[in-house]
Amino acid sequence: MPFLAPLLLLGLAAVAIPLLVHLVQRERRDPIAFPSLMFLERTPAPFTSRRNLRDPLLFLLRALAVIALALAFARPVFGPRPVAAGVDVRRRDVVVLLDRSFSMRIGDRWPRARAAVDSVIKRLLPGDRMTLVAFDRRARAVTAATSDAARLRAALDSLSLTDESTRLAPALSIAQQRLAAGDAPRKTLVVISDFQRSGWDLTDEARMPAATEIGVVDVGGVAPVADRAVRAVEVRRDRRPGPSQMLVSARLTNAGPAARGVAVRLEVGGRVIEERSVDLPRDGGASVSFAAVPAPPDPVPARVVLAADSLPGDDAVHFLLNQAPALAVLVLEGRDSPFLTRALAIGDTPGFDVTTRTPSRAAAADLAGRRLVILADGAFPSGIGAARLLRFVEAGGGLIVALGDQVSPRSWPAAARQLIPGQIRPAIDRIGANGAVLGSLDQQHPALALLSGPRAGDLSAARFYKYRSVDTTAGVLARFDDGTAALTEHAVGRGRVLTFGSTFDGLWNDLPRQPAFLPLVQQLARYAASWRDAPRALEIGTSVRPSDLSRDAGPDGARWIANAPSGARTTFGGNGAPTALELTEAGVHELRPGGSPGARPRLVAANIAPAELDFATFDVLRLTNALTSQPGTPGAARTTDAEAETLADREARQSTWWYLLLAATLLLVAESIVARRSVTRTPVLE
Amino acid sequence: MSERLTLDPAALARIGNLELVARWVVEGFISGLHRSPHLGFSTDFAEHRPYVPGDDIRHVDWRVFARTERTYLKTYEADTNSNFTVLLDVSASMGFAHGGITKLAYAKLVAATLSWFSRRQRDRVGLVTFAEDVRDIVPPSARHLPNVLHALERATASGTGSLARPISKIAQSQPRRGIFLLLSDLYEPATDVLRALGPLTGAGHDVIVIQLLDAAERTFPFEDSTTFRDLESGERLPVSPGRIRARYVAAMDAHVTAMRAKLGGGRVDYRLVDTSQPLDRVLFDVLLRRAFLRTAV
Repeated sequence: MPFLAPLLLLGLAAVAIPLLVHLVQRERRDPIAFPSLMFLERTPAPFTSRRNLRDPLLFLLRALAVIALALAFARPVFGPRPVAAGVDVRRRDVVVLLDRSFSMRIGDRWPRARAAVDSVIKRLLPGDRMTLVAFDRRARAVTAATSDAARLRAALDSLSLTDESTRLAPALSIAQQRLAAGDAPRKTLVVISDFQRSGWDLTDEARMPAATEIGVVDVGGVAPVADRAVRAVEVRRDRRPGPSQMLVSARLTNAGPAARGVAVRLEVGGRVIEERSVDLPRDGGASVSFAAVPAPPDPVPARVVLAADSLPGDDAVHFLLNQAPALAVLVLEGRDSPFLTRALAIGDTPGFDVTTRTPSRAAAADLAGRRLVILADGAFPSGIGAARLLRFVEAGGGLIVALGDQVSPRSWPAAARQLIPGQIRPAIDRIGANGAVLGSLDQQHPALALLSGPRAGDLSAARFYKYRSVDTTAGVLARFDDGTAALTEHAVGRGRVLTFGSTFDGLWNDLPRQPAFLPLVQQLARYAASWRDAPRALEIGTSVRPSDLSRDAGPDGARWIANAPSGARTTFGGNGAPTALELTEAGVHELRPGGSPGARPRLVAANIAPAELDFATFDVLRLTNALTSQPGTPGAARTTDAEAETLADREARQSTWWYLLLAATLLLVAESIVARRSVTRTPVLE
Repeated sequence: MSERLTLDPAALARIGNLELVARWVVEGFISGLHRSPHLGFSTDFAEHRPYVPGDDIRHVDWRVFARTERTYLKTYEADTNSNFTVLLDVSASMGFAHGGITKLAYAKLVAATLSWFSRRQRDRVGLVTFAEDVRDIVPPSARHLPNVLHALERATASGTGSLARPISKIAQSQPRRGIFLLLSDLYEPATDVLRALGPLTGAGHDVIVIQLLDAAERTFPFEDSTTFRDLESGERLPVSPGRIRARYVAAMDAHVTAMRAKLGGGRVDYRLVDTSQPLDRVLFDVLLRRAFLRTAV
C-alpha cells in the first residue's frame, strides 16, 4: 500500500509516548487535599509499580489513536501503484492553463477555477515542476516551471479577470512548448476553463507531447447562464429636417426567465438622456430605440446601460456619439447630370459633401479640403492644373476618372499622364449589338466587394453602349465582355486613381438605372478617397495604430499616450514603444499625442467582444481528443476519466485519510470516556 | 415512609436558602410521619409529686391544693421551652468533599433543619460555630432562628479544629440546661472527644454528637500514588493508596467504633452520618433515637 507522504509515518513513533509517560510518571504534582492525615501512612510509590500497565484498554485506545493519526497524515492509497502513462512517483512537468476571460466572471467560476489551481499546487509531489499559464484571447506564462508552491500561489493571487474573449490556441501553444522543453519523465496538462464554444480555435498542431496526462476542469457548470446584456448599439443620422440629430437604438438579449420592466438608459457625456423600460422575453431579445439626440461635432462618450444583473460587465455598450464626418468630393462634370451627384448626396456612411464644377471653371482653390475629385467625362481641368492635381493625389487624395466622349488622349496634358494608368483608347461603339456587358468583375477587391452581397444588385445587367478602355494590364478590376479594361486602379504617391471606361451620366450606358449604381458609386468614392469608417466602438482585443488616429502619421507613427478606463496609462507608437495599442478594457479610452498633454484627446470606445457573450460551451472530450495523438499511436493520455490516474488523484478520490481521522477522533472520544471512569475523581473543596 | 427518605443533600444544598430548605424538610417530614407520638424534644404534663422543701413554689398546683389541701407539684417530661444549641465545627477539614457536597454543607442542612424543627416545638434555638476556638455565637432564643440560619449561611470552613477549648467556653456561657447538637468530623481520639464534652455532660445538658464523614473518608477509594495534604495543618504525606487502603479503612472503623463506645458510655447520643445519605433519613434516626433515650430516662 503506497503512501502519498510516507515520511509522516515517522509519526508512528508517537505510539511510545503513552508508554513513556507511564514509565517516567512521577507522583502527581498536585496533592490531594484530605481532611486529616490521622490514619494515613507514608508509602512512596515504588518504581516497580510503574512498570506495569495499569489500564491496558486505555493504553490500547491511545496507541490506536496515534496510529490512526499518523496513517491519516501519511495519506495511504489503496490498490496497486499506477503504472500507466509513466510511473506515478516520478517527477512531472505540470502546465496549468487558467482561463481568465470575461465569461469567467459568471457566478463562482473564477473562485472555483482558482481553487482548482490551488488543488493542483497542493498535489505537487517533490520534484514536480509547474508552470501557470493565464489565458484569455492571449496567453502568458505567469511563472516559469517551478516547484515552489508559495511562488505559484503568489502568481495565482496576482491574476485577475479581464474583459477579453477566449482563445484556446495561444494557451495550448505555450503548453506545448513548455511540456516539450521539460525534462521530467511525466508531463501533465491541466486546462481550467468554462470551455466556451467561441474560444475553440484549435488546429491539428495543438497536440501535446507523447504521454502527456491531460486533465480538464470545467468550471462552467451545467446550469444555463442567466444574463441580460446590451449586445449592440446602432447610431443613425436623423434624416428629418432640422438640426443634425442622431438616432440611437440598442439590441438587448435575455438568457433566462422573462423579465418585465427592465430599465435601460442612454447616457451621453455622463448624463442620462433618456431612460426606457422594456420587457424581455424568456431566452429572447428586444430592441429599444431612443429619441433623437443632438449630434455634437466632436465625439463624446456615450453608452446604453441596462439595469445591472449578476453579470454586470455586459450590461453596457460604450460608443462615441458625434456627427459623422462627411467626405468632401469635387465633381467636375462636362455636362450637367443629376445621377452622380444625387447618388453621392444620399450617402450615409459617410455623408458626401459634394461640390460640382465644370472642368473649365474649376480652380485650384476648389481642391482645398477635398479628399476626392471625380472627373466625370470632361476636359482636363486646366484651372487646377496637372501639377496641382498630381500633388493632390500624391498627398493621398483620390481621383476617379470617367472616360466619356469629352475625354480624349490629347486633352490630357503630359504632366497629368501619370494619373492615367495607360494610354486612353478610342471609344468603342457597341450600340448595334445591344451594348456590352461587364465580362468579369473582381468582387474580392475592396472597391467592388460591396457588390458581392445578396441584395447589392447585379452589375452585370448594365448595358454599355459605348466605352473607352485604357491600355493597361495592371490593376484591372473589371473588364467588358470583349476583354478590355472597364475599371482600373493604380496608385499615385499615397493616393488612388480609379479609371472607369464609361460615364456616370447615362449617355453611354444604362448604369445609373441599375440598382447597383448607387452602391457602386458610393463605394468607388469611399475607396478612391481611402476613406475608412471611424467606428463608434471597437471590440476588446482590437489594436489601434497611430496611423488610425492621424493620417499624417508615418510608418512607425507618432508616440501616443492612452489612458484606459481603469486609469492605466500606456504609451504606444514611436520608437521603443509598442506599435499599437491593444484594447483590453471595456469603456472609453482617451488617447493623446505624446508631448501634447493639453491636446484634446481622441476617444476610443471598447466593448466586450460579442463572441465572448456567447456562453455556449463545447464538450471537454472534444478538447482532450484534439490534444491527444491519433488513436493507436503513442501520445497524450487523457485523464478526464479515472483511467491512468495519478497516485495523488487516487488518494484524493479515496480520501482514506478522512476515515482515519474520523477513526482517531472516535478512539480519542472512547479514550476520554474510559479515562474518566478509571481515573480517580479529584476531590473538590467548598 | 420509604418514599419520604429521598431528600438528596446535594439537591438541597443547591437550593441555597437554608430557611427555605429547613422549612420544606421539616414540614414535609412531619406530614410524612403522620404526627408520630414518639418524636420531639418538648414533652407534656407527666405527673404530680408531693412538694418537698426546696422545690420552686411556682410549680405548685394550687387547684389540687384547693381541693385536697395538699401541696403537689406539676412535673413535665421536659421543658417545653428548652434551649437547643447547635455546635458546628467549621474547621478546614469540614470543607472536604469527594464528588458530593462538603461535610460543612451537609452539617448546615442538618443544623438548619433541626433548628427549624426545634423552633416549631417552641424551643429556643442557638448556634455556636467553632474551629480551634469559638467563632460565632447566636445565643438561644425564641426569636433567634433567623439569626441562626444567617450565621449558618455565612459559616465557611477554615482553620484547625479542636473540641476542648471551645466547648469549655460554651459550657461556661450556657448555665441553663439544654440540648446541644455537635456536628463535627471528630478527627480526635474518642477519649479526647469525651473529655472535651465533659463540661456539657457534667452540667446536665443533653448532648447529641453527629460525626459527619464523607464516603471517601470511610473507603479511601484513591488509586494514584500521590501526595496527600492535610486540610488543616497543611502537612503533606506521600501515599500509595492501594498499599494502605485496607489499613486505613480498618483504622477508621476502629476510630468510629471507639467513638460510638466511648460516647455511648458517656451518655452522649452519638450518630455517624455519611454525607451521601438522604437528609430525612438522618433526621428520622436522630429524632427517633432522642425519643428512645428520653423514654429510657
